[in-house]
Amino acid sequence: MEKKDQDPESKSAKNISRRGFIRGAGLSTAGSVLLSSNVLAFDYREHPAKGKEFGPGAMTIKMKVNGITKSISVEPRTTLAAALRDHLGLTGTKVVCDRGACSACTVYLDGKPVNSCIMSALDVGDKEVTTIEGIAKNGELHPVQEAFIEHDASQCGYCTPGMVMSCVHLVENNPNPNLEDVKDATRGNLCRCGTYPHVFKATLEAAKKMI
Amino acid sequence: MDTRKEKFPYGIPGHNLGEIEREIPMEEPPVWPVNDELKVIGKRVKRIDALEKVTGKAIYTSDIKLPGMLYAKMLRSNVPHATISSIDVSKASSLPGVHAIHLIENAPKEGGDGGTNTYPMVKYVGQPLGGVAAESLEIAKEAVSLIKVNYEKKPFVIDMESAMEINAPIVFDAPITQQQDGGDVGETHDGSKGEGNVRGPSTSSFFGGPRGNLEEGFNEADVIVERTYRTQVHTHMPLETHGVVVDWGADVMTVYASTQNTAAVRNEMASVFNLPKSKVRVICEFMGGGFGAKHSAGSFGPMAANLAKKTGRPVWLMLDRKEEHLAEGNRPNSIQYLKIGAKKDGTLTGIQQRSHGTAGVGLGAGVGRIAQILYPCPNFATEQYDVLTNAGPGAAWRAPGNVQGAFGLEQAIDEMAEKLDLDPLRYRDRIDTSEVRKVERQRGAELFGWSRRQPPGSSTGVVKKGLGVGQSTWPRFVTLDSSVEIKIHKGGGVEIRSSVQDIGTGTKTIIAQVVAEELGLQVKDIKVNIGDTFFPVGPGSGGSVVTGSITPPTRNAAFEAKMALLKLVAKKWETDSSELYVEDGQVGHKANADLKMSFKEATKLMRTSQISKIASRSDDYGGFQQPWGLAYGDLGSVQFAEVSVNTETGFVKVDRIVAAHSCGRPLNIGQLESQINGGVIQGVSYALYENRVMDNGTGHMMNANIDQYKVPFSMEIPEIETIIVEEYSGRSSTDAYGIGEPANIATAAAIANAVYNAIGVRLYEIPITPSSILKALRNVS
Amino acid sequence: MNKFSWYEAKSVEDALQQVNSTLSDELYEATDEAAVFKSGGIDVFDWVKQGILKPQKIVNIRNIPGLDKISYDRKEGLRMGSNVTLAEIASHPEIKTRYLALHLAVNHAATPQLRNMSTLGGNIAQRNRCWYFRSADHDCFRKGGDRCFARHSKTGENENHAILDNGSCVSVHASSIATALMAFNASVVIVNAEGQQKTVQMDDFFVSAGEDIAMENILKPKEIITEIILPTPSKNTKSAYIKQVARESYDWSLADVAVVMEVSGNTCKSANIVLGAAAPVPYRSLEAQQAMENKTITGENAKAAAEAAMAKARPLSKNDYKVPLFVSTIKQTIMEIS
Repeated sequence: MEKKDQDPESKSAKNISRRGFIRGAGLSTAGSVLLSSNVLAFDYREHPAKGKEFGPGAMTIKMKVNGITKSISVEPRTTLAAALRDHLGLTGTKVVCDRGACSACTVYLDGKPVNSCIMSALDVGDKEVTTIEGIAKNGELHPVQEAFIEHDASQCGYCTPGMVMSCVHLVENNPNPNLEDVKDATRGNLCRCGTYPHVFKATLEAAKKMI
Repeated sequence: MDTRKEKFPYGIPGHNLGEIEREIPMEEPPVWPVNDELKVIGKRVKRIDALEKVTGKAIYTSDIKLPGMLYAKMLRSNVPHATISSIDVSKASSLPGVHAIHLIENAPKEGGDGGTNTYPMVKYVGQPLGGVAAESLEIAKEAVSLIKVNYEKKPFVIDMESAMEINAPIVFDAPITQQQDGGDVGETHDGSKGEGNVRGPSTSSFFGGPRGNLEEGFNEADVIVERTYRTQVHTHMPLETHGVVVDWGADVMTVYASTQNTAAVRNEMASVFNLPKSKVRVICEFMGGGFGAKHSAGSFGPMAANLAKKTGRPVWLMLDRKEEHLAEGNRPNSIQYLKIGAKKDGTLTGIQQRSHGTAGVGLGAGVGRIAQILYPCPNFATEQYDVLTNAGPGAAWRAPGNVQGAFGLEQAIDEMAEKLDLDPLRYRDRIDTSEVRKVERQRGAELFGWSRRQPPGSSTGVVKKGLGVGQSTWPRFVTLDSSVEIKIHKGGGVEIRSSVQDIGTGTKTIIAQVVAEELGLQVKDIKVNIGDTFFPVGPGSGGSVVTGSITPPTRNAAFEAKMALLKLVAKKWETDSSELYVEDGQVGHKANADLKMSFKEATKLMRTSQISKIASRSDDYGGFQQPWGLAYGDLGSVQFAEVSVNTETGFVKVDRIVAAHSCGRPLNIGQLESQINGGVIQGVSYALYENRVMDNGTGHMMNANIDQYKVPFSMEIPEIETIIVEEYSGRSSTDAYGIGEPANIATAAAIANAVYNAIGVRLYEIPITPSSILKALRNVS
Repeated sequence: MNKFSWYEAKSVEDALQQVNSTLSDELYEATDEAAVFKSGGIDVFDWVKQGILKPQKIVNIRNIPGLDKISYDRKEGLRMGSNVTLAEIASHPEIKTRYLALHLAVNHAATPQLRNMSTLGGNIAQRNRCWYFRSADHDCFRKGGDRCFARHSKTGENENHAILDNGSCVSVHASSIATALMAFNASVVIVNAEGQQKTVQMDDFFVSAGEDIAMENILKPKEIITEIILPTPSKNTKSAYIKQVARESYDWSLADVAVVMEVSGNTCKSANIVLGAAAPVPYRSLEAQQAMENKTITGENAKAAAEAAMAKARPLSKNDYKVPLFVSTIKQTIMEIS
């Protein structure tokens, strides 16, 4: 069914069709279907906190950030990054690509790095958020932060919070990382100044100090 | 003026270090010895603002939040060429939360008709048309989407070669001059010459015009290399976008700006709003990258100020990622014809260059002066044309012009070496008269293992390895309008003030190092307050000028303040201040070891609360100053690249780069390494990855985001080793220069030469992609 | 993003009551009161941020209990709930040992951050990454428009686009994980609002652009993926996966290949060979599979299979490099098995 360029304006020339009739039609119209009426594979027990509609206007939610539970007013469209930056004043989390493609906005949800720019503040639920501001504990820098300072692992510094979040997560979960592990941990972090070699060095040094 | 003579270190330690006598102003400090004999300078000093960066506490323009602040969003064109018949803002203005809408209008003509020409003509997709200020960014965005712009569309042209055709749609039907400059430093691009969209040529620079006689030069040649090279448009993509927060108070307009040049932004805003410079304060404490694109207030600066004026509230206006790609700068592309001739022994007899580049609706798309000055050649001429297209304007990008130019020249030199049956490095030894590059070639070749290099295409297997080299030069630009104030506070504390900003290069830290060295203190004792136009004006961060411009007056001011302090101590000790010295936080007496006092104690002798001294950059020692206020000389670099090319899939990987660089007296080794790494990585990106993809049918940029605009991330980073060659020339009280531009010039050429060495087929165009490799290997037609 | 309300679904049935459209339907022809699913949210929020999708309500299915489990046993095979994250698949030991190609595909997908967020269901249901399709300024066929900008022989920027089955739309499917899933003969469990459940072969889950320009899969409004099931591999099953990208760190596939093979010694008894980024949906190369059947796994046979897979390739103006790229990648992937 290969068609060469005929008239690029023409739909018929391109075999453009829409299975509109299928829209909303029953299951049986689909291809190889194995209808089954037996019990579903999973247990769908109700969760008491669910089954509710929120918004579209602002509402007050509770969010545990860096160990402290705070109440903030957000709309469903408020991203976690915006909630942190605009509502909680935690501007260490940066928004650069605004699409989850550069990891400058990295925070942890229950200890796992995620991109806060491409999720709603409502996605947090009862999970705990950790931001760059929560990495140093009681005024004491994390070894990764120390090593970033020691090895000049920031230039303009705009990627640095996200970079630190990725590297701290690595050394906290892998006591003996090698260069490839550091590259893997930061593979989503964009640094336009090109500070990567010092980030790698700093993270490897920090890991050594943590043993 | 009173002067004195001093002997300065001159040359390269370990190579040809000697002395040179310079006549210097009497009030300037005594000569610094080589770095080995200094305590703070030339060491790995930690960046003084690193703590704020690693903890997320550094406040960038985009982080600023003021009481009552509104958020603004720009309205931009989504067609490439049109006149605007009308703009309907009714829906937007009635959206709850919207406070003001400002549209960009043409200045009213005398006796104006107020008719069809209310709004400027649209020349590219993304051109600013107006802006909205609202309670939140989301509301501002929604309001912008509700504004209806009615266009009368006109034919447009995006692709440069199409724009050069005789019947191409015309981008500007009138002469233009310096319409947003692509940034070819020191060049004058004349948009009034030429025909249609092709303007120019530019044939001369501050290095002069054409030399000798090309025809004779090529007649003398035994070997000719004649090629055409192509480079792509790429965008700066700083992590922090362009933008400002404007707080227009009753007395002063305060502009928080993500800028490389606080003073220029102040001057622009003062000029646009007809305010005295004293009433505009531009502040940039931290900024998230610029690479040449952030020297101006742009249209977003005045827009935010207009919205602030209309609403009486502070206005935040940072661009989004797409706007950044479309409208805030790019490195112009190039098609460069290059012909070089040489005698059998390699002596160059002629270099002819003709280039076309497009900076979109801007000028300044030349290929720099590297072909003119890198190698001596008696016969030289260049013609550099600007081609106007319906695309976003170019802006200076690390070593503007020269990165494109080096890609062509350094490949041509490689090809010439091969024709002469000479090793490319040995050939450069023969024709390059630069002492510093000679040392860089030696040290670099040894570290890199250049001797491993095999003949082109001789690598076997599917994945072929190749080694290549590229060289560069960059002038020692200096901005003489560079001033700094030092304050030594009574009871301790040293403060530095200047409007110069730190764009991530470490300017704050080197300033602190210079002061610490001069005052015998530690870096942590120095508080550096810069990036504020209420302080003495410093240079813009471009052209690698900052280090060479701001550190000498910094040292000179510190020296003057120190001498004032020592006079007070001398009075107390009843001796002469010339007998005193400072070291390790102590003031001491050269002849009497018993006389000691801490620096802090000494400051208590002050009659006033502070000693304050302001110094400005003086002329270069030795008279290197040029009429336009800049001084130049050779900052040379040699970069070596090792690549792997998969001949089945076409993928190229840069495995390793050795980058040998000079920057006069190195000030901070860690920061220099950082900047060289960055220049190299941006060069890798230029050679293999990034490319502004424009749809020629609609005039839109298709990859105006981060996931499709390919730049290297962690896995693409080669092993990078840097060699920093100390080179003394006794031109100022610090004798130090920048590294920002040099680090970025030679990389793409070195990689292209390495790719050639790997596969035995030369690629004349970047980015080098699987498609281009497979085409070169004739795996696809 | 436009203003939308948020419904926190408590169960599959609950979610299906709340939803009334799909991402794809909305992109083709927007409705006023669209309520669409969102799980990990990366694709949905991307479209909303682009201003192309304007939902009135987002039905969050991410927290529905029971959809986040991975189980393996020899009888049932591998069962993965649709809310399982890519990170959970990547770190699952049984998947690494028994379904290596899947493990590799997941490990090469996205970034560590995105793998913590992306769910399996969302990954296979995401829309393609053609930059014209993703642009609010280009009304292409897939968005109910009247042209394909990418295929234009002079101005189409189609270097990343399809070389097979590209007669109507030239995009390539965005999920490289689907390439591996299809090679393992995965099936997709779908539940509708009536509580009916069907199990569809992965091959039938995806819809070719020629069949329906608006859709890339069969999901209709009020249908939800609950599980992906992979049959138990035999002792003699071997698998391999290679993805070619412009940027290794993090990128969309230019060519990815999954091979799942039944072997006897060094002979291929039967093969599943699936190509990603070749066509608008993951492409099972029957030609390559046939070419390998009962053949010894040698470079020569692998190359012949690879070339057979490319026999029907019809490159566009800027992507003819993809043909040799696929030939090399298919060959290499097959050879990984030997």
